[in-house]
Order: sequence, then C-alpha cells, then structure tokens
Amino acid sequence: MNLSFFDQFMSPSLLGIPLILISLLFPMLLFPSPNSRWISNRYLTLQLWFLHFTTKQLLTPLNKKGHKWALILTSLMIFLLTINLLGLLPYTFTPTTQLSMNMALAFPLWLATLLTGLRNQPTASLGHLLPEGTPTPLIPALILIETTSLLIRPLALGVRLTANLTAGHLLIQLISTATTALLPIMPAVSFLTITILLLLTILEVAVAMIQAYVFVLLLSLYLQENI
Amino acid sequence: MLSRLVLRAAPAALRALPPPPLAVGVLHATRQLHTTQQSLAPLPPLPEKGGEVRHGLIPEEFFQFLYPKTGVTGPYMLGTGLLLYFLSKEIYVVNHETVAAACILSVIIYGVKRFGGDVAAFADKLNEEKMAKALAVKNEAINSLQAAIDEEKKEQWRVEGRTYLFDAKRNNVAMLLEANYRERLMMVYNEVKKRLDYQVAMQTLKRQKEQEHMIQWVEKNVVQSITPQQQKESVAKCIMDLKALSKGAHAAL
Repeated sequence: MNLSFFDQFMSPSLLGIPLILISLLFPMLLFPSPNSRWISNRYLTLQLWFLHFTTKQLLTPLNKKGHKWALILTSLMIFLLTINLLGLLPYTFTPTTQLSMNMALAFPLWLATLLTGLRNQPTASLGHLLPEGTPTPLIPALILIETTSLLIRPLALGVRLTANLTAGHLLIQLISTATTALLPIMPAVSFLTITILLLLTILEVAVAMIQAYVFVLLLSLYLQENI
Repeated sequence: MLSRLVLRAAPAALRALPPPPLAVGVLHATRQLHTTQQSLAPLPPLPEKGGEVRHGLIPEEFFQFLYPKTGVTGPYMLGTGLLLYFLSKEIYVVNHETVAAACILSVIIYGVKRFGGDVAAFADKLNEEKMAKALAVKNEAINSLQAAIDEEKKEQWRVEGRTYLFDAKRNNVAMLLEANYRERLMMVYNEVKKRLDYQVAMQTLKRQKEQEHMIQWVEKNVVQSITPQQQKESVAKCIMDLKALSKGAHAAL
C-alpha cells in the first residue's frame, strides 16, 4: 500500500464500517481480569502490582473524598498508556492522536473537578485564583491571569497529549521516509538517519508513557485543589 | 446445593418412575442430567510453564505439526517463502513504515531480551513474598503451639516432682512439731525440777534449823547445867593438864 503521511492519523474504516470502536476497545483485551487463584501467573501478578503501584502513587496526595476518583483515574491512565504504546507499532492507528478524543477526555474530567470544587467549597475554589503573598496593586491583573489559566486547562490537557503524540509519530514517519529515500543514494547518511530513528523510537516510547502519566497527574492535581 | 442433590438423585428417580407417555417428555426421560460431581474446590492445578514458543511468537506445536511432512527446516522455508512472496508480488510494499517497524521491533526485542529475566524474577518474587507471608503465619502458629506443648510437658514434669516437695514439707513440719514438743517437755521438766528443788531446799532448811535449834538448846541446857562446883573442878583439871603439858614441852626441849 502506498501510504501518505496522513494515513496513520485517519480514523480506520473497513469497507465503510468505522473501526474506531475496535481500536479503542482492543487494549482492554490485553489486560486479563484477576482470577480466583490466590497465586496467579506472572502476567497477572505484574499487572496487579502495577495497578496497585499506580493507584497508590496517584491517590497518596488526595484526601479521603478524592479516593472516589481512584477507578476513573487509574483506568484512564492504563487506557492512555496502552493506546500510546500500541500506537508505536507499525501500521497502527493511535486514537490519542485525534484532538477530538483527547478533548472529549480532558474537558469533562476537568469540568468535573471544577464543578466539584465550586459546589463543595466555593470560597476555597475561588480563592485559588489568587496566589498567596501577591502585592496589592497586582491583584486585579493576577485574578484575570489565573482565571485565564484555569479556563485554558482543558485545552492544554487535550492539546498537550495530541501534540506530543502526533508530533512524535510524524517525526518517526518523516525520518523513516528520509532513511528509505537516502538508502539507494547515500547509504552512510541513511545509516546515520537510522541511528537517529532508533533514538527517536526510544524517546517516543518514553514520551508515550510520560504523556499518559502527565495527563492523569494533572487531573489529579486539579482534583486536589478542588476537593 | 440442595438443587445439586436433587439433580444427582434425579436420574435414579426418573428411572424408577414408570415410563411417561410418549406424547410428553420423551426428551426429558432420555437426557442424562449431571453425572459427575461438579465442585469448584480444590481447583485443578495450573500448569507450571506456559506453552512452548519458538522465537517468542510461534508456538512449538506448529513446528511439530509440520515436522512429519517437511522435517526441521519446513516451517522456516514456509516463512521465508511467504515473506519473499509478499515482497516480490508487492502484496507487502516496502515503505517508510517498514523502517519504522524495524526500529520499534528491534527496541522491543532488545527490551525483552535484556529485562525479561529480571521482570520474571520480580514477578516470581512477588508471588514468593505472598506465599512466605502466609507460610510465616502458619509457621508462627506451629511454633507457638510447639512452645505451648513444651511448656505443658514441663508443667507435667513439675507435677511429678510434687510428691517430693510435699514430703520435704511434711518432714519440715514434723521436725518443727518435734522440736516444739521437746521444748515443752524440757520446760515441764525444768518446772517440775524447780518445784522439787524448792521442796528439797525447804526440807534442808528445816532440818538445818532443827539441828541448830537442837544444838542451841543442848548448849543452853549444858551451860545451864554447869554448876559452880563443876566449873571449879574443870578449871583445876585444866591447870593440871597444862602443867603436865608444859613439863612435857620442857622435856622435849
């Protein structure tokens, strides 16, 4: 198949049937559910250990009320992590490169934290708009700035994830195209480019994991402020 | 659970019943209900190792499947042939994704080869720790019970020695009683002796006094009985005795 650079970012469809649902739900198949055995196999043990580890990490700063968010935050983290890592395989579609999906994840969750804060502790929530110890003449300007930063949070969350992944994938595509194109002409430069590509791949693996973690971490931070 | 009992008894019961009319329940009478005991515990044991896999992807069963017809190199020939077929017919087109695929696959394979053993050991360690915690509880219980048994045995041994203890105590008490008895016996003896001594002393005193009195009376009487005549005679005799004596003394000298 002759690929353009847009093909990996297009929502997959087979004979007109959109496959986006499969691509979103497939990662779930990779995580077995805990069985009734006391000592299970290595895969399940590692999975459970990882889930406990992540949940503990995310929820330690939160107070008791915030622990209600444990399920959604951990499952979001696993979801994003798996989708990002699977997207690095060739010929795969990464749903998190779509801004629509990331905004659909970021916006409602951020809004939930905001509304929780405004509903349960409105004074404290609004109080976050003014950092402590600001000089009095700066207060009006600072409140406007903080409000802007508050309102831009969902946009930032979504766009951060999208941009990182899209940029990474695009870079991989471009550099591998360069390698392929240079191979018959200047093999030495092609070899250099492949080295760059290897390093970039390692970076992309790291970025995939970090971006998933950062998304969920920021959400938990916004939750901490507001709960 | 009761339903299981009913279901187990059902075939026998159904066979005991008279055969139902053909119009009704032919299927029910002929179908076997649960013939084996269905129980969830104990669970059948898990296999120790997963299925054998060659090159991390292809199960060993595939190689065994092809072995009778094509020998050892069969599957590899098949793989190479398929690959070359796809490449030459451009069913698989070599494009930039191929290079990207090569990179990511090499990264993945390197990661698995390098960290696979460590991750497996870590998972095994997690399971071992879980087992060790439970085993520790069990061993702790066994040890404490063993200690209790030893304590109990010691107590029983102590109980056996109880008779000696009682004997010693009994001897002690007997000795105390004996000593006390002897002491009182001594006291009685002393008291009696004191009284008897008193009586003896009284008697001695009385006799002494009687003697003295008698002597005095005799002396008084004798003195009274000495008449002046007798007194002169005795004095003259004494003088004569003295003269005789002095003569004797003079002669000695």
